Amino acid sequence: MAILEVRKVTKRFGGLVALRDLDVRVDEGEILGLIGPNGAGKTTLFNIVVGYYKPDGGQVVFQDHDITGLKPYDVCLRGIGRTFQTTKPFLDSSVLENVVIGGFIRAHGTAEARRIALDTLDMLELSERAESLASELTVPDRKRLEMARALATGAQLLLLDEPMAGLTPSEKAHTVDLLRKVSGDGITLVIVEHDMKVVMTLCPRVILMDRGQKLVEGTPQEVSSDPRAITAYLGEEYGA
Amino acid sequence: MKQGAGMEASAERLKRRQIPPGCIALAVLLIVLMIIPFVLKERPYYVHIFITIFLWSYLATAWGLVGQSGQLSFGHAAFMGVAAYTTGVLFGQFGINPWLGMWVGVILATIGGLIIGYPSLRLRGVYFALATFAFAFILQMFVRNTLYLGPVYIGAGAFLSIPQVSGGNAPGVFQFASKTPYYFIALVMLAGVVSLSYLLNRSRLGYYWRAMRSDPDAAESLGINVGKYRLITFLVSCALTGLGGAFFMQYFRFINPVRALDVTQSIRIALIGIVGGWQSVFGPMIGGFIITPIAELLRLHLGRVPALSPIIYGMVLMVFILYMPRGLNGPVLRGVRWIEAKLRRPAESGKHKPRR
Repeated sequence: MAILEVRKVTKRFGGLVALRDLDVRVDEGEILGLIGPNGAGKTTLFNIVVGYYKPDGGQVVFQDHDITGLKPYDVCLRGIGRTFQTTKPFLDSSVLENVVIGGFIRAHGTAEARRIALDTLDMLELSERAESLASELTVPDRKRLEMARALATGAQLLLLDEPMAGLTPSEKAHTVDLLRKVSGDGITLVIVEHDMKVVMTLCPRVILMDRGQKLVEGTPQEVSSDPRAITAYLGEEYGA
Repeated sequence: MKQGAGMEASAERLKRRQIPPGCIALAVLLIVLMIIPFVLKERPYYVHIFITIFLWSYLATAWGLVGQSGQLSFGHAAFMGVAAYTTGVLFGQFGINPWLGMWVGVILATIGGLIIGYPSLRLRGVYFALATFAFAFILQMFVRNTLYLGPVYIGAGAFLSIPQVSGGNAPGVFQFASKTPYYFIALVMLAGVVSLSYLLNRSRLGYYWRAMRSDPDAAESLGINVGKYRLITFLVSCALTGLGGAFFMQYFRFINPVRALDVTQSIRIALIGIVGGWQSVFGPMIGGFIITPIAELLRLHLGRVPALSPIIYGMVLMVFILYMPRGLNGPVLRGVRWIEAKLRRPAESGKHKPRR
């Protein structure tokens, strides 16, 4: 069953067509990998889904409701969370406060928001840093903080924009474990990622985008052996 | 060991959060301020200075709510002026008791806030500041060039005064013979607005403020309607500023566009807030206590040099924005905490002394 359907979405920036009649279907509970060269429109797609941009055409349907053109805060209320490519933590607030802010959306008071936040931090193994200022966190911790914040809103679908960028191999492995845990809780994940190894291990299904369109779709094996994927994105070494 | 770490952590939190410097400092301050008018009974000028300190601290704290939500207003004199004029005109020309009329002023100031705030919702940073500035400027120009607004005489640029009742000794219409009642009204207003700012800061709205001023896009992605909460904050600030304006009218009894609506007054409010720390609870009050007496000294001793105080205001503003954008709030609170710690643990600090 589809949790999110992007139907024939087009987005132009002046003369540049960032997305052209794009159809994307995300099934409930899956981990979908979104790959493609820079400028393919992956982040633009995220920004359209969450309402940061208005599409020039097409529809975004989430849990059978048309959410096209809703404001970002409304989209969040419907149950879509996102992280940013360049992390945007609230630097003056503590890690806990950052996550409490996410929890408020479904809490009746500060105490409940706090409880939600503490549980979420626990799940993402950030409890030890709860009292640190967000500005004191390392890059991997900031990425996890953003995930925690988005999860605290009660999101059913999480859009993660390059959650592994700038991480060491062991940190990546750790993040993969965490994401599996999140997915195990029934949260649907869409992940923009450049590291093919990560995509191969984490995502049963992958979409390769190029120039605002879907180029190849399938299992990681299917995608990585597709000649179009090799020319557009992966390079010859993957063809072997 | 573990307890020590816990205490360290809570001390860290104290440092970071805008928690008051502690009950001792605030209690001492409040007691001193309660005694002052009785000590200075024979020196009304000094009582007057304190009243102006309270008033400007009050206005800056009310203004600071907008700052905490991540916006800067350079037009707050407009909301002060609207309420001041309303209160004065309602009493002077329609005989409506100022105790009642001031609330009409507050409502009109809030409506003024809505007129400028609603269309400016989407504006961020300097654009919002410019919009507020322009609004206040237009309003002042309008008042300056308007003698009658319908049946209401607003006097163009001339002074508008309220009639004295019983030689100014009429508490029933917000007029007092001595400065002491004004002093306490202003003090209560200041204590009230600072308490409100403190409580809001710790509420859900306070969390939203920190999120919105740190990163509005991230805040929206977490379900916060940034425009709505900024507007609510702005309206609360306008209403409170209106209340300050009504007090301004009743205390000074004279008003004109320069005193109540001028850009320099808007800048003065902002300056006090910025010098004190415009994104903090106590900063604007600290700024008021420091800037107001200095401004008064400048006026007394250099008042004859034209346009000097705006020049000095501008220079001070620039220095703080460039070199101390968070204002004096942090250093002052740290100092107060240091003194408090010394007072609380004299034995411990004694132990450390021989090492020096």
